[in-house]
Parts: sequence; C-alpha cells; structure tokens
Amino acid sequence: MTDAGFILGSYAITFGSILIFTWRTIRSGRNLSDGMSDEEKPWL
Amino acid sequence: MTLDPPSTVSTTSRRGTATAATRAVGVLTIVMIGWLGVFGLLLSPADRDQGDAVRIMYVHVPSVWLAYLAFIVTALASAVHLFGKSHSMQADRVAGASAEIGVVFMAVTLVTGMLWGRITWGVYWQWDARLTTTALLFISYIGYLAVRGLEGSRSQRARRSAIVGLLAVLEVPLVHWSVKLWRSLHQEATVLGTDLDVSLDGLMLFSLFVGVVAFTLLFLWLLLHRSRVLTMIDLSAETGLDAALAQRRAEGGVTA
Amino acid sequence: MSTPDLTPRPEQSPKRQRRRIMPAVVLALVVVAGGVVITQALSTAVDYYCNVDEVGERSGCDTGRRLRIQGTVGEGTVVAATGATLFDIRFNGASMKVEYAGEPGGIFKECLPVVVHGVFDESSGMFLGDRVEVKHSEDYVAVNDDRLEEAEADSAACDSSA
Repeated sequence: MTDAGFILGSYAITFGSILIFTWRTIRSGRNLSDGMSDEEKPWL
Repeated sequence: MTLDPPSTVSTTSRRGTATAATRAVGVLTIVMIGWLGVFGLLLSPADRDQGDAVRIMYVHVPSVWLAYLAFIVTALASAVHLFGKSHSMQADRVAGASAEIGVVFMAVTLVTGMLWGRITWGVYWQWDARLTTTALLFISYIGYLAVRGLEGSRSQRARRSAIVGLLAVLEVPLVHWSVKLWRSLHQEATVLGTDLDVSLDGLMLFSLFVGVVAFTLLFLWLLLHRSRVLTMIDLSAETGLDAALAQRRAEGGVTA
Repeated sequence: MSTPDLTPRPEQSPKRQRRRIMPAVVLALVVVAGGVVITQALSTAVDYYCNVDEVGERSGCDTGRRLRIQGTVGEGTVVAATGATLFDIRFNGASMKVEYAGEPGGIFKECLPVVVHGVFDESSGMFLGDRVEVKHSEDYVAVNDDRLEEAEADSAACDSSA
C-alpha cells in the first residue's frame, strides 16, 4: 500500500475521534445520572 | 463547593443514558464500523489513478455526510423550538447535541480531506471553493456552539441559538454545490450528483455505502445519548439553583 | 435574621463568570477566523481560472497576466528536462505547451486533468508554470479491472480532450 501512513492515519483519526467523543458522552452521562432518580430521566 | 447529593435519590437510579434501543443501535454501529474497516482497507480495490488513497474516501465521505445530517437536524430542531407553540426546550437540546456531533465530524472531514489532498493533489490545503466553504461551515458551527453558551436566561439562549442554527444551515447547500458554482480543484460529487449515473466501481460504491450506513447509525446513537446528557445538564442547573436557595434559607434561619 | 441572604457568594461568582466569558471569546475568535478564511480565499484566487481553449479568448484569460489553466496532460508529451518538466495540456481541442519548474507532485501523469499556475511567455509561446495541481476527476475505476479495457478507456479519455 503506497502512502500507508496517510491512509491508515486518516482511519486512525476518524475512529479515534469517534472513540473519544463516544467515551466522553458515556462518561458525562454516567456522572450526571448518578445524582438523579429515575423519575427525573424522561427517556426511561 | 460541591453540593451533597439530594437525599431523595432513590435506590432505583440507573446509571448512564442508555436504553434498550440505544444499546441495539450501538451494537449495530460497532458491527457496521467493523465492516467499514474491512471493506475500506482490505476488500475494496485500489483506484487506477489515485491508488490506495481512494480508501480515505470511505471515511471522508461518510464523515461529511454525518456532519451535513447533523446540521440539518440542528436546523429542523431549531425550527421546532422557534415556531412550535410550546417552544420546546427538548427541541433546543436536540439542536445543540446535533451541532456538537456535527462539529466533531466536520473536523474529521477536514483532516482526512487534507491527508487525501496531500497524496492526490500534492498539497494539504488549497483556497479553492469547496475547501474554503467547508472551512467556513466548520467555523460557523463552532460559532453556533459559542452562541449557545452566551449569557442570558435559558429561553433567551435557546431562542438566539435557534435563529443562528437556521441561518447557518444555508451554508450546507452552498458547500455541496460549490464545485459546480465555482471552478474548483475538488472533484464533483460522485454519488450525490444531479444525474443518477454513478461512476464508481461496484465494490468501491459498496464500501462507501457501508460507511454511510455505519455513520448514520453512529449519528443516531450519539444524538440520543448527547441530548440526554444535555437534558441532565439543564435539570441539574435547575435543581442546583433550588438546592442553593434552600441552603441559603437554612443559613438565614428561614424554614422553607 | 428573618430575611434570607440571597446575594451571590464571592467564591462562586468567578467560576460562573469565566464560564460565561469563554463563549464570547470563542465567538470573537470565530469572527476573526472567518474573516481570515475569506480574505485568504479571495486573495489566492485572484488568478483567473481558465480552460486551455479559453486562453486569449475569454475575458480575463489574457496572456499578459498570471493565470490558472486547466487541461488534460497530453499523452506522450511529458519530458523531464534538467530542473524542469515539459508537457502539453489540452482541453476541448486546444493545446498548450507548459514548462514547469520542477517535478509535479501528487499523482501527476499523462491523461489526468491538471491545473497549472503561472504566466504565459510570449517569446517562446510556453506557459511557465510554478505550481501544478492534479485535479482528480469524479470517476473512480478499480485498478484490477481488465487491463485491456483500462488501456482503451485511458486512451479514449485522452482522445476526447485532445
């Protein structure tokens, strides 16, 4: 594969960004939900 | 500084923002992203002129698709907030969550596009119509997120950002058709062009399709979780205020 | 002691203020960045973008100024000279000789559409390029397609623009 660094790099950046963003979302969701009862969560 | 958690927290509190539906979408997303990696990097062929650089397309195009989708959802939710009778705060939160997701994937689009440009054009960046309008779109939505955080009451902020959300989305068609409007170095749209004659090899098209499906599912998953997080931020801001007031009253010797 | 003290607390207000100032700072930066992007785009796009057949024909595409010329690199015309690359670019039946100082980057090769930045040299009749960009077409063709078919398509692509 020519330019493998660029190609694999672009996949790494894409999937890495997805992982970081997903992880942050899950984490903030957990932290915030800790102080709340289920009655306060409209999605449940 | 930290307030003690309210004593009313019930023992049935479930952690996080997941539901059965989001878990199902999440599992599907992971599977599709796995397939995207397999098709994009292994199964799809190299391009005659671009060589393996064409593989970057399978993450670049779905990223920009997701960003467009996110900004359109922001605009729709903004319209629901602004023109709906109830001025729904939930709509405002969906708009905000969607814009956050869109900005992340716009950044991914720009970076992967630059890497692709370096290989095929020989330069990372060109001030050409498509690239310039894309950069402006990215910057505009950072501005939108900044507007959301500006000073003001909750309803003021929601109203302001809804107006910005409706204006900023006008850039999306401008970016998409910039290659037709102005002479540009960037190639014209291959799949979402005006004619339905798709000039793309079968397996290449399929890889792109896998990417678009994977990223659409990812958007759905992120939007559900992100807007739930924003709901809790709003709730804790309200209850935080109530708790602070209660505390002051207690200190002042007043029983509420 | 009967009225509750509802004045803001000193230790809480600086944090709240910082949180509200940040978006305003970001917004100011966004406006500045937007201005920079627009001016950059406008100042670097001043060279008229012309197709080969429009040079000297279309208004703005005069030979006395810096131009960006789009055309397809002619088949068999690429010659590597010392410190320069010579090739023809063709578009819609018209052809132009290009002398590019250096070796073009990217995926430059025969039969691909390119954009050459430079000035027209009246004495030699050559377009002196100082920048070549490969304009990729919106066609994607798998490399492992039938070789014969590929060669035919390749020459056909060259013929149509020559």
